[in-house]
Order: sequence, then C-alpha cells, then structure tokens
Amino acid sequence: MNGTDDFYTVQPKDAPPEMEEIRKLLASNNLELDDQIEVFVVSRRQGRLVACAGLDHYTIKCVAVADDVRGESLSLALGSEVVTLAAARGQFHLFLYSAPHNLPFFRGWGFYPLVEVPQRVVLMENSPVAIKKYCDSLREQRRPGRTIGGIVLNANPFTLGHRHLVEQAARACDWLHVFVVKEDAWLFSYADRFALVAAGVKGIDNLTLYPGSDYVISRATFPGYFLKEKMIIDHSWAAIDLLLFREYIAPALGITHRYVGTEPFDPVTNNYNADMKHWLRHAASAAAAITVVEVPRACTRGTAISATEVRGLLAHGDFSRIKELVPTTTLQFLEARFPLDMAATR
Amino acid sequence: MKVMKEAIAGTLESSDLLVKVAPSDKGAREIVIQSEVIKQFGKQIKRVVAETLDKLSVSEGSIVIEDKGALDCVIRARVQAAVLRGAGSEETDWGTLS
Repeated sequence: MNGTDDFYTVQPKDAPPEMEEIRKLLASNNLELDDQIEVFVVSRRQGRLVACAGLDHYTIKCVAVADDVRGESLSLALGSEVVTLAAARGQFHLFLYSAPHNLPFFRGWGFYPLVEVPQRVVLMENSPVAIKKYCDSLREQRRPGRTIGGIVLNANPFTLGHRHLVEQAARACDWLHVFVVKEDAWLFSYADRFALVAAGVKGIDNLTLYPGSDYVISRATFPGYFLKEKMIIDHSWAAIDLLLFREYIAPALGITHRYVGTEPFDPVTNNYNADMKHWLRHAASAAAAITVVEVPRACTRGTAISATEVRGLLAHGDFSRIKELVPTTTLQFLEARFPLDMAATR
Repeated sequence: MKVMKEAIAGTLESSDLLVKVAPSDKGAREIVIQSEVIKQFGKQIKRVVAETLDKLSVSEGSIVIEDKGALDCVIRARVQAAVLRGAGSEETDWGTLS
C-alpha cells in the first residue's frame, strides 16, 4: 500500500465539509452525488480530496479518482477500503454501478458484470458465480407449459387487489412464479409481508412462491424503487432491474409473461409499467422478449384497491373499511398488530 | 471445520489477494479462483489453496479468491485468516498451520 494515502469515512447525513469536495470530484467525472449513499470512503493527498467511493447498504456507487493520480495503486487501495468497510458493516455480497467504459477498471476490484443499459450504466457484483448459482436454484423449480407467468409483489400489505392479480395470472398460465420483494424498507417487515402473501395465495395450485432475492427489485437492482414514497424513479434504474429479470430470472424459469396491475393513481408506478413493456419486450437484448400483461385492478365501491389506501386507513384505525380491501388473513394480522387503542384515533 | 458465516481477508492490491468465504448451500467445499496470473500459476495457486484448506480440515464452505499475483506464503496467510474468521473459532492451534 502507498503509505502516503490516508483513507477515512464520511457520512453524508452529518453534512460534513467534505461533501462539497466529493460533489466536485464526482462532477469532474460526469457523476452526480447519489442521495442514498450512507457512507463514503475518501482519500486525501496533500490536503486535497483525490478519491471517493460511496456505499448504499450493499451497493457501491459514486466512485471517482482524480485524473492526475490515476495509474497508481490508489484505486485498488480504494477498492480494498470500501470492500472492507462493507464487510465491517455486515455486507459481503456487493453490487456496483459503473459507467460501461469503466467496466475493466472494476474487474480489478473483483466485480463482474451482470447487466448493462448500453452507453449508460452497468451493474456488477463481487462474485463470478453468485448469479449462476441463483439461476441454477431457480432452474430446479421449472414447470412444463407454454405460458409461464411471473409476478413480483411488494405487498405492503397483501390486499384483495394482489389476490385478484395473482388469480387472474394463474388462470391464464400453465404455471405462475411469484416473488416477494425482500428488503425491509417499509411499514411491514419482509417476514410479515411474505407470510401474508403465502396465506393470501392459498388455494391457487399452479403457483410457486419465492422468497425475495438481491436480484429481484432490491436496493442493488432498483435503488429508485426505494425512493418511491418521494416520487422519484430514475428510468435507467428500472431498466437494470427489468433487464436482470429478462436475462437471468425469466430464462431460468422459462417465464414467458410478466403480470402487473394497472396503475390508476400513481404516475410513478404507471411509468414503471411503461418501462416494463419497453425493457422486457421491445428493447434490444440477447434474451427472448417477455410479454407484459397489465391486469385491471380489482375495485370496491368503484375504486381500485391499493395497499397505500390500506396503510392510510390503518393510521386512522378504520378497520371496517379495511375489511373490504384485504383478505381475512391480512385483516387478522392487522387487528392483532395494530389494536384499536394503539392506532391514532380521530 | 466448516465456514459458518461470511468473512473476508486480504486486499485487492498488487501482490496480495482478497479471500471471501461463506457457508456453502450445498454442504460442500467449493473453491473459485480468479487470478491475473491464472495462465502461468493457476495450478500452483489451486494447490496452495487446497493444501491450506486441508490443513485446517475445512470440509464445507464457499471460498472465492481474487488474486493479484500473491506469493504462496501470502495466499496461505489470507486463506487461513478468512477461514478462521468465517468459522468463528476462538481457539486456533497455530502449530498445525505452518
């Protein structure tokens, strides 16, 4: 290691004086500061900030090294620092975003390309075998048939709308593969959401339910999704998640159709549905096209059911209305978890 | 000995290597080696890694290595460190590792 390089970490939430320097270094490399980064590793040389790498949970982004210090050992030392920092934070399976032309550079960090949005961005991971292992495990679940469906649910929480979507898809398909988004980023934990989906899809026999994975709508594959409440979804980041689905997950399971609910309320999710049609079906890709089927949302009293509404009603303890929107299994869970005297009353 | 949890040892810098270990979902010993000098020294690196794991009696675990042209003694040290971290073992008989 070059003894003159001094690495240390900076947390953007503390708004340290370094943030302006980081922003400048990124800008000179045509990168923008990413809001989701929890911690930066930075290096100074003679007082000047010359290198930075950001970590958002288990995804490395915003990596930049000043022009005049390239070609030394600094960049590899930076890579070692950020990988070690992630390990100290309990993150070992790492992902990384890079501009496509820097791909060879990050191969030197032990990262391997997964998917690329041409001329824009490439997603890499720090294992040459992890995605293959995951796909091999999926392949064991393949089912015969001409029409094989796929659905990805967040289900925060599982409603009659989700039930309707799954039922319609299962009816149209020989077999249906359902994934639940894994991250713990919402009101309901992953474990609770998964349990409610499992209970809610009971009785549908031509279906396999999968635990979530880092490869299906995760902080790595679709960081913008986790800003949804703030109404920002970056299109190119939806593309990464969708291309990963098209190029790895769908071929492993033989998925021919992806099912999704129509989105009457939320323009962000509506854009996502449009992106889905583009990246799963129309965009150029080595993988076969997947048909996207938008299923009209189930309604009660003429209004489409949404999990957002259920959460809103929950805040007011309005269980009589919630009862019309969710299956019994979800209702029982909500009543046990949010007893009336605890819910905000009005 | 089994790898019970994820762990790393080493760096990505020249003449070093980064060793990542994790529990094996297949209950087997799986080794993946990437090296800048795999064509010249691949066989030798594989042998050093296997011998080091044998001496530690590692029967289960996924071991992924990113080698930057490390010497054998460095490879041994990094593999030992990663495995011992991943096994969460408190007591180590260093004499058996030489």
